[in-house]
Amino acid sequence: MKKRYIIIINVLIIGLILFIIVKYANDRASESNSSSIASFEKMTTTTEQIIANYLEDEQHLCDIWANYINRSAETGTPMTVEEAISYIRKAKISPEISGHLIYIDDGSMSGISTTASATDPSDYSVNYSHISIFDNLEISNVDGVVNLTRAYTNPLNGVQSIAFLNNVKVMDDETGAMRGGLIIRVVPVSRLEQKLVFLKGEYENVELSIIDWDGDYMIHGKSLKNSNLFEYFKSYNPMSTQEYSKVIDTIRTGVGSMHIRNSKSEDSIIAYTPLSGLDSWFLVAYIPAKELTVNRSIDWILLGIVSVGLMILLHFNIFVLMSYNRELSVTAKAANQANEAKSLFLSTMSHDIRTPMNAIIGMNEMILRDSHEEETLTYAENIRTAGNTLLGIINDILDFSKIEAGKMEIIEVDYNFVSLLNDLVNMVQRGAEEKGLTFDLDVDSNIPEILHGDEIRIKQVITNILSNAVKYTKEGSVVFSVSGSKCEDASDYVNLHVSVKDTGVGIKKEDLDRLFAAFERIDEDKNRHIEGTGLGMAIAQKFLNMMGSHLQVQSEYGKGSEFSFDLKQKVVKWEPIGEFDTAFKRYLSERKQYKVQFVAPKARALVVDDNEVNLKVFSSLLSKTRMQIETADSGDACIALFKRNFYDVIFLDHMMPDKDGIETIKEMKECSDTPNHKTPVICLTANAVSGMREMYINAGFDDYLTKPIDTSRLETMFLKYLPPDLVEQPADTAEEEKNEPQHSILVVGKDIALLRQIKEWLPDRYNVVVVKSKEQALAYLEKHEAELILMDQDIEAAGNFEESKIMQKNLQEMSRDDITSQIDEFFNESDTANM
Amino acid sequence: MRKNIRKIISTALVTLLILGTMGCGQGGTTSKEFSPKYSPDTEYKLYIVGTYSNFESLESAIERFYVHYPNGEIEYTYLDDYINTIGQALAGEEQPDIFVVQPWMYGDERFDSLFEGAEVLSDPSLEINLDCIRQGVRWELDNGDVIALPIFATSYGMLVNMDIFEKENLKVPKTFDELKKTCEKLKAAGYDSPVMGSNTSTTPGIGYSFAYPMFAKAVKDDRSVEEDLNNLVPSSGEAMRASLTRLKEFVDSDCIDIDKCSAEIEDDYNAVIMRFFEGDVPMMLCSGDVVSGTKKRESKSEAFSANPFKYDFYVAPSGDKGGYYMDSVTIMFSVNKNSANLDMTNEFMRFLTSEKELGLMAQEKRLITPTKDYSLDEVYGSLSGFPEDRSVSFRDIALLDTAVKEFRAGAFKVINGEMTVDEAVENYGTISGK
Repeated sequence: MKKRYIIIINVLIIGLILFIIVKYANDRASESNSSSIASFEKMTTTTEQIIANYLEDEQHLCDIWANYINRSAETGTPMTVEEAISYIRKAKISPEISGHLIYIDDGSMSGISTTASATDPSDYSVNYSHISIFDNLEISNVDGVVNLTRAYTNPLNGVQSIAFLNNVKVMDDETGAMRGGLIIRVVPVSRLEQKLVFLKGEYENVELSIIDWDGDYMIHGKSLKNSNLFEYFKSYNPMSTQEYSKVIDTIRTGVGSMHIRNSKSEDSIIAYTPLSGLDSWFLVAYIPAKELTVNRSIDWILLGIVSVGLMILLHFNIFVLMSYNRELSVTAKAANQANEAKSLFLSTMSHDIRTPMNAIIGMNEMILRDSHEEETLTYAENIRTAGNTLLGIINDILDFSKIEAGKMEIIEVDYNFVSLLNDLVNMVQRGAEEKGLTFDLDVDSNIPEILHGDEIRIKQVITNILSNAVKYTKEGSVVFSVSGSKCEDASDYVNLHVSVKDTGVGIKKEDLDRLFAAFERIDEDKNRHIEGTGLGMAIAQKFLNMMGSHLQVQSEYGKGSEFSFDLKQKVVKWEPIGEFDTAFKRYLSERKQYKVQFVAPKARALVVDDNEVNLKVFSSLLSKTRMQIETADSGDACIALFKRNFYDVIFLDHMMPDKDGIETIKEMKECSDTPNHKTPVICLTANAVSGMREMYINAGFDDYLTKPIDTSRLETMFLKYLPPDLVEQPADTAEEEKNEPQHSILVVGKDIALLRQIKEWLPDRYNVVVVKSKEQALAYLEKHEAELILMDQDIEAAGNFEESKIMQKNLQEMSRDDITSQIDEFFNESDTANM
Repeated sequence: MRKNIRKIISTALVTLLILGTMGCGQGGTTSKEFSPKYSPDTEYKLYIVGTYSNFESLESAIERFYVHYPNGEIEYTYLDDYINTIGQALAGEEQPDIFVVQPWMYGDERFDSLFEGAEVLSDPSLEINLDCIRQGVRWELDNGDVIALPIFATSYGMLVNMDIFEKENLKVPKTFDELKKTCEKLKAAGYDSPVMGSNTSTTPGIGYSFAYPMFAKAVKDDRSVEEDLNNLVPSSGEAMRASLTRLKEFVDSDCIDIDKCSAEIEDDYNAVIMRFFEGDVPMMLCSGDVVSGTKKRESKSEAFSANPFKYDFYVAPSGDKGGYYMDSVTIMFSVNKNSANLDMTNEFMRFLTSEKELGLMAQEKRLITPTKDYSLDEVYGSLSGFPEDRSVSFRDIALLDTAVKEFRAGAFKVINGEMTVDEAVENYGTISGK
């Protein structure tokens, strides 16, 4: 994982932890705030009780005054106003409190006070006619409950006061009549405020207000502006009329608290509760919200400490991870170096074995071609077999290396199943015959002809199984069976059942598990004389697994084994392959000795290799083509010739001392003074490890050919790159063909490359002419004869040609063997009919 | 070259800025922001009493004062029955440090104690900058002492719906002729009563708002009649003739439908504002006190909330050459020289006495600032630079309340056809009693 991802993940984790902490802190703070607010509400209700008790006490004292005065009246000794005030003056204890007695029966609202006017010590008269404090009170019928006025200005001393009321009956000292009066116990607001001083200890900035039903202040906290709480609230807390009404209803109808914005737009809290004992008065306690939420800072300190701790942990982790990464990096580097060393080893091994093998097989090929001594040919044939075995071992190691490196891929193509069988049988048949084994074929004739899959790997799997069967069978037979059945779950697929049964040594039950393990050789003591790496079955199993199949083994030790697998293949063409035995026997009968595919006396080729023997092998293998072949033993020599002479094709070895093939071609590509700008350069290499083809193409080569050189592939490569005008039919072949009955074939198709290919594929005994349209074909037939007209299915044949001569096929889909066998069959049938 | 131009421009701008900030200078010196005289840590508690039950503009000023002196508390309290209780309060145990006085109180023996106990604010040691107060409303005693600081000024005139004038492509009339022509056009445009007002005999009423400034100007021009007017000498009623005649002419000119006013405007304050906010009255006669109530009632008027419009205050165009600007003081603050916190009280007064603070207070209360700068409240923008020769301040005349009452009563009766102008003039001294 990259360093930045580790850091990002760590940061995310830290962020998550911090988020959780912040959330936790916030939740705690919210809880704490809720708790603080609840306490504040509780304080408000407690205060309300204190105030209510105090007001009741004051009212009670007022009632005592009134009762005393009224009792006097009831007992027939009514007091005059002067006597009543004189009594109150004596009865009241506190000098701050005064008593006013006013007449209310005549609406004059005037009377006398216990204390004199502040401006005139001799004036005890008092007049409430201009002070509207009784508007909402039923002063004529005060019934003894708390009857409290709003805070008002004491008309005698200008002090803000509240008043407690009760009715009294007094005697008019002038008329002697009984008058209705109102006794007023006047208490300065400051006295009430003193009762609430205790709150300052708990809440420094708390302010208490008492409001009436309309929100007008009876007692006014200084932070609550305006003369009306509701107006104040509305001024600084914009909201809709409905919301505003809801807030007012809330305050009027219950006990609780709410957040409000004060005149400075600061968050504040008001707690409210109705004043018990009073009609429609409410206590409102105001406090700035920050005073209740101050405790939150503790959580932030904790958060800060945790954050710093996590950051330190992050840096420590990064430091540790980086040191681990450094170690891992060293280890990885070592592993890469080891892997590179392995690749280098494989490459070198492949190269170093293939290079002498090229000489051995190449030279042996020359013996097989040129010798006519039966004994020598037998020896040479043995050398070829052993060489091919050795190559098989090297290929197995390389394949296994590819599988391990994960570079092996299944490459699916359309293929002809008969052709695949041909190749398989061809590869194994000879070995079986040489060992005196009976090789029996049992091929289901209903298997579709054209399938879609990885032909090369399937062939490799079956080859490995068949090779093993031949190798481990001393006597008896090897039976190769293939059957096909249509897949039930997928209509486009056929299920191939492949089985190889032998009468060989068999496998012990306890060894079956080791059969597919790489580099394991079963019953090593007995089978030491048999060549093999122990990779064949492992590779076969791996390939089958990659293709969704599995190799199964049934074996009886000492009696033989049967290897089988089922393989699902997509069907391209459902046409059955028919009787394979017949076709195969014909194929066998046609197998003949090497014949050169072409001659090109005017063609010039340059082959570059540091190994002189290989240069000789290359030249010798192509000797019958009569091409002009020049050789160079180094990159520099190659470049010198490259600059001086024109060549139609250049074969350049990769692994050379001093200047290797890659460096040489790079220099060649940069070279401007050469007649070989367009000359194809083909890499000749003994290196066949995975990924080589891409490397050579990227390096600038047009193609590559592996050593040991296969003559057929080499000639095919030449045919592919030589200009057609330089290529001729080999003369001796032409002469031979003169002695044989010649069949003329006209091939008609639109794909010129394919037509040319088909012409190359067909044996020399056929006189092949290719044309690319129906019109050209008709024009040709006007002057020439053709025994067979092989037409691509795209060409319209109806009515234009002699039907008995027409063979119309999908030429794109057909392999070389398909075409050859079907043409042979056509002429065989034709010859038989003519006899 | 470019640098020099920049220098010149910069210098010019700085100079302009300095000149622009000049105003309330002390002896011609440049004014400056309030600079606290005492330590910001000073603890204090001040007590202000007044006649407003709700004095939010003062509370806002107090909040601004707290910025300089945060460790104190200033409490404003409305005194019930202020006329009778202020004296008691000043003599009582909880004496206010600052109290409200009104111009009419001066000379009334009931309030002598108030003025006797008031601090001399013009004392140079207090460093209160009284120069920013308009000369007309500066309340100086004969000996030059200033014992009360005007807080709000008021006037009489009319609220003008500027949107109607813009819509009808008309200018606000400045002379009586222009008023008549404008009203004709407005009437033609469908406004039944281009001018409206409260048909009462109070100061915000139609007659007083329209004609009293003209009458006051007549008294200012001939103060010999002043004493007789105050003594209710019938012959002095002649001084009312010109203004009452113009009032009668105004009523008869179809500019105003008195019956409509009586029917649709129930009182001289709330109803005046709410009717004006209906949006179909081009001009509404009223006092500055009425204007002060407009701001809070904007949101209470559904019509205004739905279709808000721009409105300004203008003096009523009663004269041939223009209207008359009655520059009156509404309330003033005096300092109790027996204050327990006299230093901080004077410091607060020093803080208040600036174009900015008094302007902000007036703006919030929507009354006229007593300072020279009208710019803070554009509703009163028309009063800025009003010709001196048609301005009357309370210092220019000394009419007693009784004389004023007679004029109000006369104007009311003339408007309502209860008296002719001649009868009103002849019956001066007894009009209000009839």
